[in-house]
Amino acid sequence: MGRGSIGYRIYTITYLSYALLIVLPIAWTLLSVFFTEGSLNDNLGFLDKKILLLLGKSALLAFLVALFSTLLGTMTGFLLNKTNVVFRGFFKVSLLIPLFISPYILSVAWKDFFFLVFGNSGFISSFFGVGLVLTTIYTPLSMIITGSALSNINKQLEESGFMITNFRRVSLKITLPLIKPALISSFVLIFIFSISEFSVPAFFGVKVFTTEIFTQFSAFYNHSMAILQSSLLILICILLLFTEGKYLAEAPFLSVGSKGTSNKTYNIKNGFSLLFLSGWLSISVALPFITLFIQSFKGGTDKIIQAVGLLKPTFANSIGLAFTGALIITFIGFVAAYGTRTKKGTSFDWLLLVVFAIPSTIFGISLIKFYNHPFLDVIYSGYAIILIGYAGKFSFIAARLIGNAMKQLPDSLGEAAQIEGISEINRLRKITIPLIIPSLFAAFIISFIFSLGELGTTIMVYPPGTEIMPIKVFTIMANAPQSLTSSMTLIVFSVTLLIIIGFYFLAKPLVKDHNSYVQN
Amino acid sequence: MKIRILLIALLITLIVTGCSDNSSEVIVYTSVDQVFSEPVLKEFEKETGITVKAVYDTEETKSTGVLNRLIAEKDNPQCDVFWSGDPLRTVLLKNKGITTPYESPAARDIAPVFKDHGYHWTGFSARARVLIYNKDLLSQSDVPGSVFDLTEEKYRGNVAIANPLFGTTTFHIAALFTVSGDARAKQFLDDLKSNNVVIATSNGDVKKRVVQGEVACGLTDTDDAFEAIKEGANIGFVFLDQKGIGNLIMPNTVCLIKDAPHSGNGKKLMDYLLSKQTEARLAESCAQMPLHKGVEVPENIPSLDSIVPMNIDYDKTALKLEAIQNYLKEWAEDQ
Repeated sequence: MGRGSIGYRIYTITYLSYALLIVLPIAWTLLSVFFTEGSLNDNLGFLDKKILLLLGKSALLAFLVALFSTLLGTMTGFLLNKTNVVFRGFFKVSLLIPLFISPYILSVAWKDFFFLVFGNSGFISSFFGVGLVLTTIYTPLSMIITGSALSNINKQLEESGFMITNFRRVSLKITLPLIKPALISSFVLIFIFSISEFSVPAFFGVKVFTTEIFTQFSAFYNHSMAILQSSLLILICILLLFTEGKYLAEAPFLSVGSKGTSNKTYNIKNGFSLLFLSGWLSISVALPFITLFIQSFKGGTDKIIQAVGLLKPTFANSIGLAFTGALIITFIGFVAAYGTRTKKGTSFDWLLLVVFAIPSTIFGISLIKFYNHPFLDVIYSGYAIILIGYAGKFSFIAARLIGNAMKQLPDSLGEAAQIEGISEINRLRKITIPLIIPSLFAAFIISFIFSLGELGTTIMVYPPGTEIMPIKVFTIMANAPQSLTSSMTLIVFSVTLLIIIGFYFLAKPLVKDHNSYVQN
Repeated sequence: MKIRILLIALLITLIVTGCSDNSSEVIVYTSVDQVFSEPVLKEFEKETGITVKAVYDTEETKSTGVLNRLIAEKDNPQCDVFWSGDPLRTVLLKNKGITTPYESPAARDIAPVFKDHGYHWTGFSARARVLIYNKDLLSQSDVPGSVFDLTEEKYRGNVAIANPLFGTTTFHIAALFTVSGDARAKQFLDDLKSNNVVIATSNGDVKKRVVQGEVACGLTDTDDAFEAIKEGANIGFVFLDQKGIGNLIMPNTVCLIKDAPHSGNGKKLMDYLLSKQTEARLAESCAQMPLHKGVEVPENIPSLDSIVPMNIDYDKTALKLEAIQNYLKEWAEDQ
């Protein structure tokens, strides 16, 4: 594609806008800490043994969470995508629920559950407890990643295996090796999410690296130290993703679209599978939710009515912002993925990655320091600053998701169209986009869910007087009766679910068109 | 052409979302829990016609959002008024050069001890640190009368305190250091730890642990105690050291931000917050004790006159806090 083409211009404008609006504030903050507020040598003094041990503890926690989440996610993904187990549709939806709920709320529910049942929450307020709660939160993510990889395996490969050996060997020697990249991607992504997670360990009083960063921020108001410590986290995440990118550059990642190849499903006995799926559903969804329901209705219907009243003014703003944010994120993700696909360069991916790896509070502080100038008030005082926050935090995931769908498109389609003299824009409109519609939709939905619940960066930058759902829940939670807090959580969850169902029905004709397009 | 249209549309969106008429508004950041602060701000809005744009945070989360935001915005302030749940955060802002003096006429009859000497901040409606106890686990006669009693053997593993690095617990510990001297305060903390004190994540967590009976008693604030009683919990509370060093009193504080964009309206809001009307309202909603004389309060709200207060200087306590922060960090972490 030529440098003068429309595609190239859109790519360049998007790339430069992202670099200027989102990456520059972070670079500005990091550089000012490293060089302006003291020499690099002086600043490196914070790397003492205690800090490194704490980092090791966080890494161990993240490793265990990533390992168990990937293991459980793969098992559930396998049962739901490769077998004929009954109630698959129900399990596929209900097992995703922990992804919709704030980790903080889930922690509250888990602690209360332990107290209700055992009369003591000491067991859950521990390293083990943090690991358990994080595993329940991230297993659905692994289920999506490995599940989609499993459903995209070419059935001929497995059928050939069955001609010479049994189910166990086919699973171990063919199926699992084929989804190895997805397993590694799941592990890496969950590791990054877990090592950066603050609210769950803080709630359970378990000291990890992120709580140390928080202490520097909130007790000492030492921004420089907090930013320097965060840079260690960023470094670890970048190294991990670099390794993953190096070895899995061509591997599927976070795909939720169908590939056009038929999927092999196994006939299995329902007993064990149902027991496993129901067991995990009980642990990860039923227990915390029953606790939330009990607490919610303890205060009678009054509290639910009060919760609706409190949240009502936030609905329009929050949904509008999350919707606009999801559109922007999906667009950025699409452009970045298209740039990589058409070999315009991979630096856009790296920019997305750096911002993704930054802790929310640091990102928020960077945005304040950069945008809070009289001539940039137009951005800082309006909704634009919130949208910049969303785009920075979630474009990486959208780009990966869309990028993978693009990788699965055969090159021959585009090449044939090019030979016919069809312009790049028309190739995009008539071939690429129709073929990846399900992935674009999935990227939009995931970005919408994440944006709707985003708290860490938004609370640092939201314009005064703006009513935003997660912030309202968070600030009302303190000193409000437990029944009110639980009611608000359930309302947020219901609203999110209703909107997603609405989007699903709106997008159904598009996906239908896509399927007939693929079949033709 | 299409790209140009897109760029123009983006610019218009930014301008529309970023600009508004701001002549009759005031921007307030507050660390006072939204359930209590929002109704007061709405009332001000109704009475004056000045639009209040608030940024809320909560002590439960150590006020990270607003405090760090105020510090980061120092060179181009967006906020007019900061309303804090305690004096230490306003003193911190004063020390960082973020506040500007304002002597509110509404606060004339508030005792000088609750005001900054240079009027960088003014106190109103106070809370107190209290010991709450679970009536099922601790009989009236076993309730400690002094904070120093908590190190006794009979309370081993049965006392909760929030992390002393944050919130009003920091203030309480710094005040103990100021009043009792470093040696005695450090000995107290060491003994408390030897007595297996439970370090909770927040005052709210202390309340919850006592209500649920996980521990018999804990140190928290009056608003937490009243909230628990309002929710029907079987707990009681006592003011400590009424025959000794006295009980810590923590007024709300309000300050005007230096170079505030709407300082005129900011002053009006400060006057309103410092009025008897606001104190009456906060007494009703969250059991805070008025600093003005003659404010009508519900019967169950104690009068400040009936409590022996801890005699402290808020500025000195803030300085002491800075000096002991590293010690407190080690204390809290080396469990």
